[in-house]
Amino acid sequence: MKIIMNSKGRMKLLILAGCFSLFTILQAAYGEDVWRTDFDAACAQSDEAMALSVPELKKAIEQCDRVQKKIEAQEETVRKVYLKRLQMCRNLFVFVLETRMQEQKPK
Amino acid sequence: MRKIFLVVPILLVAVGIAWAQGGMKKKKPLPFEFGSVTINNYSQQAGVPPVVFDHWVHRQYYTCRLCHVDIGFGMTAGSTKVRSVDNMKGYFCGTCHNGKMEHGKKVFASCASEYTREEYNIRCVKCHTLERSAAKENEFFRFSQKMPNERFGNGINWEIAEEKGLIKPIDYLEGVSSKKANLKVTPDFAIKSKVEGMPDIIFSHKKHTVWNGCALCHPDIFMGVKKGTSKYTMVELFEGKYCGVCHDKVAFPQTDCQRCHTKPAQG
Repeated sequence: MKIIMNSKGRMKLLILAGCFSLFTILQAAYGEDVWRTDFDAACAQSDEAMALSVPELKKAIEQCDRVQKKIEAQEETVRKVYLKRLQMCRNLFVFVLETRMQEQKPK
Repeated sequence: MRKIFLVVPILLVAVGIAWAQGGMKKKKPLPFEFGSVTINNYSQQAGVPPVVFDHWVHRQYYTCRLCHVDIGFGMTAGSTKVRSVDNMKGYFCGTCHNGKMEHGKKVFASCASEYTREEYNIRCVKCHTLERSAAKENEFFRFSQKMPNERFGNGINWEIAEEKGLIKPIDYLEGVSSKKANLKVTPDFAIKSKVEGMPDIIFSHKKHTVWNGCALCHPDIFMGVKKGTSKYTMVELFEGKYCGVCHDKVAFPQTDCQRCHTKPAQG
């Protein structure tokens, strides 16, 4: 089958291809920013973990779990660095939370 | 006379066993060697000598937390398994050793997939070398001359050095560190000494969190957060657990009893 396309059609196709490429590039760049922003938001609280309430700690742990999935989709070195960093933050939140729970238990 | 023929071989065997079990006294590192870490995960396979990392060079510029949390270096030699490709992508050593960062002078780039013999002799051997370097020793000597003295370790009291403003370790790297809220410092507390007459330990959270943050020690190194729930013995500490993860290896040695056992004895 022969597809005949005039110059207008070619132009439309070119614009469409351009938009698609731009979308792909932006998505990749923006996607990276999103996981990094989420990671920073989760780990930013690690230095004040002792001052967080039980609900805040639970929220921070959930936040870490969500970011973990996004980091797992990144390339090898990023995974290696950021999964370890995230694990340290998460472990700290869990540690403080468990301590809080123990303290709240009736003696 | 016959007894000598019996006693001498027995003594020789006993010394041999002691030697084999590592019973001889461990060699005390020289001041410039204290805190040096040899990393050899992939170097020799790649045909280059292992990396000898000097803590003293780096700790004058950066906090422990920046490298061991934000950059992601493990707390034991070789545990991070850094590859040259990781460095070239700008992670681990390559976070700073990228040929762009400046610290008075430009920080040299860490690794390259291709290099000339000349580059190897100038750049690669800065890290990949097991040979004793007179230049490095001199550099340490010149640096330590300006620093407050300490009896043990590398002979530098880093805590006083920071107090006096002689070193200003950075704790934040743009694009690497997460922006954090102000550090909440937990109060200092005393740990009771088990030996009679030995002053109790005053553990300063403030001194430790300034350089380490919270996540570096809790819960990986110290599990117990409630005072008195964990019992530590000096044997474990000298085996490299708890305080021994840093002290003896990089931070001042645990043989400097008075640095920790500071609580005045009650009369």
